[in-house]
Amino acid sequence: MTNDVLVIGAGLAGLTTAWQASLHGKGVRVIAKGWGATHWHAGCVDVLGYWPMESETPVANPAATLPDLLAANPQHPYALVGLARLAAALDGLQQLCSDAGYPLVGSLDKNWRLPTAVGAARPTCLAPATMIAGNLDDHAPMLLVGFKQLPDFYANVAADNLAQQGIPARHVALDLPALAGRNFTTAVNLARFMQQSDFRAAVVQAVKPHLGEAARVGFPAVLGLEEATAVHQDLQAQLGRPVFEIPGLPPSVAGMRLHRILKSAIEKNGGRVYDGMEAIGFAADGGRVTAVYTETSGRPRQHRYDRVVLATGGILGGGIVTNHAGEVGEVVFNLPLRHPENRLEWFRRDFLDKQGHPIYRSGVSVNENFQPMNGRVVYQNLFAAGNTLAGFEAIRERSFDGVALATGFVVGNLVGN
Amino acid sequence: MRTIQTEVLVIGGGATGTGVIADLALRGFRCALVEKRDLAHGTTGRYHGLLHSGGRYAVKDPKAATECIEENVILRRIMPHCIEDTGGFFVVTPWDDDAFGDRFMQGCRDTAVPCEEISIPHMLREEPHLNPGISRCFRVPDGSADSFLATQSVAALAQAHGAQILHYYEVKQLIRQGDRVVGALCYDLVKDEEVAVHADLVVNAAGAWAGKIAHTAEVEVNVRAGKGTMIAASYRIVNTVVNRCKMPADGDIIVPVHTVSIIGTTDEGVPDPEHFAIEPWEVQLMMQEAAKIVPGWHDLRMLRCWGGVRPLYQETKVADTRDVTRAYTLLDHETRDGVAGFITITGGKWTTYRQMAQVTVDRVCEKLGTARPCTTHETVVPNPFEQGHGRQHHNLGQRLADVEKEEAFGQLICECELATRADVEHAITQGEAKTIDDVRRDVRVGMGPCQGGFCTYRVAAIWHELKKPSIEETNVTLRDFLQERWKGLMPILWGPQLKQERLDELIYLSVLNADHLPGPRASRLGPAMYEPGTVWESDHAHV
Ligand SMILES: Cc1cc2nc3c(=O)[nH]c(=O)nc-3n(C[C@H](O)[C@H](O)[C@H](O)COP(=O)(O)OP(=O)(O)OC[C@H]3O[C@@H](n4cnc5c(N)ncnc54)[C@H](O)[C@@H]3O)c2cc1C
Repeated sequence: MTNDVLVIGAGLAGLTTAWQASLHGKGVRVIAKGWGATHWHAGCVDVLGYWPMESETPVANPAATLPDLLAANPQHPYALVGLARLAAALDGLQQLCSDAGYPLVGSLDKNWRLPTAVGAARPTCLAPATMIAGNLDDHAPMLLVGFKQLPDFYANVAADNLAQQGIPARHVALDLPALAGRNFTTAVNLARFMQQSDFRAAVVQAVKPHLGEAARVGFPAVLGLEEATAVHQDLQAQLGRPVFEIPGLPPSVAGMRLHRILKSAIEKNGGRVYDGMEAIGFAADGGRVTAVYTETSGRPRQHRYDRVVLATGGILGGGIVTNHAGEVGEVVFNLPLRHPENRLEWFRRDFLDKQGHPIYRSGVSVNENFQPMNGRVVYQNLFAAGNTLAGFEAIRERSFDGVALATGFVVGNLVGN
Repeated sequence: MRTIQTEVLVIGGGATGTGVIADLALRGFRCALVEKRDLAHGTTGRYHGLLHSGGRYAVKDPKAATECIEENVILRRIMPHCIEDTGGFFVVTPWDDDAFGDRFMQGCRDTAVPCEEISIPHMLREEPHLNPGISRCFRVPDGSADSFLATQSVAALAQAHGAQILHYYEVKQLIRQGDRVVGALCYDLVKDEEVAVHADLVVNAAGAWAGKIAHTAEVEVNVRAGKGTMIAASYRIVNTVVNRCKMPADGDIIVPVHTVSIIGTTDEGVPDPEHFAIEPWEVQLMMQEAAKIVPGWHDLRMLRCWGGVRPLYQETKVADTRDVTRAYTLLDHETRDGVAGFITITGGKWTTYRQMAQVTVDRVCEKLGTARPCTTHETVVPNPFEQGHGRQHHNLGQRLADVEKEEAFGQLICECELATRADVEHAITQGEAKTIDDVRRDVRVGMGPCQGGFCTYRVAAIWHELKKPSIEETNVTLRDFLQERWKGLMPILWGPQLKQERLDELIYLSVLNADHLPGPRASRLGPAMYEPGTVWESDHAHV
């Protein structure tokens, strides 16, 4: 295996980059301090949920709305990607997931409106088939099922909010004997239980008396990890109606499934993914990055690769750090950043401010080849993807996964060619 | 209009007001207390957490020092569940004058504050994170005190003796008939209605708000608000209260409280006790001063920042608020202003609340023509959380032991502070909680490193289940609490805490889409917001 591409960061952007580069037959290594935001987020691909950001109604058709976004914010990473490559990235991921037996449903010209764990309608572009029956454009009555032992998902608030918005919804919290007296009931734990047929049978038996009018049944997103599709189908068959998942508090089982699929695609193509490897520094020569150092228990370990991709995420991912003196820095290469000049401008008064807090737009500026810029290209063989990039508000736009996927896709192809 | 009739009405549910009502009730008065929010909503819930030994005032204000040490001894006896015996150090850092140590020792001797000098190696053995450049260290009986629990306990004691406690009752206007105050017109924020409370005597214990209250009866009481800013760091970097050994100034005390260490404070006059900004220069100053006591403080994770307002009573104008005496003020408006039926008690410290209550109720007895002795100094204040439902802070270790014993891990609602579902249910159903923030004061949810990231959602759902409000009310309760947490985070967001906050955004906006739920964005029970600070550089010659 040749040392072609080193990707720093194992979130959606980093893994997509590595996967695409590995498709070109490149020798790829991913190093990461830990897993990325896939483990926290909903396990869907949000491309553009609200635009303008202060709009109360979600974007219905991202493809049709994206030109407005790009006109208003020509610096947006989507501007560098372009609509065609964004569509190709979505297609690519859909193909990969469908080959893995875990289809992602949707297309760029339509946002789903899916229920959240508090019963809001969440706009998203691609969602796993396990979530689709929650579609809120359909007004069929639903039963939402929680588990008494799972504190990361409560069906009551979700059901009442959905009812308030015109979707007949009831809820039940199961208290299964199999879980009684258990110490740990996390989503991941439940997902493993769900892969056991006798546990599923107990769930079905407990749910059935509550079905009533419900034409569909919602669960927290815990319907299996590796075997999600089979678990989902089995529950639908046993309950005799569509079943859907709703993402709850992190960790995100649905996000972990995407992570697994991408990771195995990289590994299948000969690439390697390592976590617990924090990049702490680098060496450069003649305008090129010659090595990246990671922390190990002994001395720093050296990674020498032809091309290096920075996909460490923004402030959330830890790729961009801040301190009390108001300094904003990029952790590995100390790259120049775009960020609010003055710490007094970092925040707005309200947590839920519609425009978001300016500090979170901090990031790396890149040229059309996704090379970090400082007036000119900083290092010839260094690229950046995902939420490390400057100039957009991923959470207010609901573009978190879309930007990561699309920029990772483009950069993966750039460094793979 | 609804009316309530009582003998003595107390305004303000801080340490002073609850202290007064407990003392009144113990002496057999019929009495009611009105608090515009939750108990300890004011300065009492936003203070530094220090049970003063008196050391801080030993040189500058001997009278206050003596009051403190007297009360320090009493409070340890009557409310042990609220006090952690951390002990305190006074340390001479390289920035301080070595000779002040001798004045300090002498001051302690004169005011009967127990004090012994210990060696620096000894100090470092006990507190290895302290600055090794410290040249002298004195040990005093400071402590760390939980004012939320104390206020609740004292209020419960009052209730057990027949007092009525009315939360979310805001006094709008004192009712005056001729030369007498005969009650107060209140607004019930929860029921959204006006209530008239009639009383033979009104005690104004509204802290920094006391001037405003008096003003509504056309009595002028000049109480200035002196804002103090504090920052909590995410660890108990010290287990002892550490004071700089010098004349009291800004940022010279670190107090370990529960799981955090708190540096404070500043002291700035503000026009309004409710609305003020925490300025970036204050934060910088606290960070800088803390690092003089604990080098490396900057690298700790800052959890939260808040401001409390000192009620500073003055008959004359004084430029620097710290020079106004800290000893308390009792005003009998009959003799002072010719307005009968009205007393104001303000100033002082948390540590001296009991003594303040005692002199106030002595005066009440005098006014009402009865002689009843005070017993609060010998009445143990029970822990209201002890019966039936067994668990309450005082320390995280005890909570962990309980959780392990009951194998209640799966039902941890707040992993940071180890609050279980049973704790939260108890606070919602048995307590007086009207908001999630009130639940926080009871069981500390949302007070740890994630600042409500995980538990806000969980508590909102349990709230919805048990209280059965309309869904829109639950939505706004949730949003109010998110905003409440944000308020104290914004001034200290950098480093890991900023990252944490972005995760909280990912959860509440992106995963849950809570900003697009039906209902109002904020309610009248939500936090009073301050604007973000704007002053980066201080032109104050504080240090
Ligand atoms: C920054 C700072 C740090 C401090 N640290 C310490 C310390 O470490 N140790 C110590 O011993 N002391 C300390 N103190 C002093 C101590 O906190 C206060 O002296 C004490 O808490 C005051 O209590 P209080 O009940 O008089 O006032 P408050 O606690 O302010 O109570 C007044 C109450 O009145 C209510 N109120 C106001 N207006 C109305 C209305 N219209 N209707 C009904 N209710 C109303 C308010 O909501 C409030 O709850 C500190 C003070 C400050 C400012």
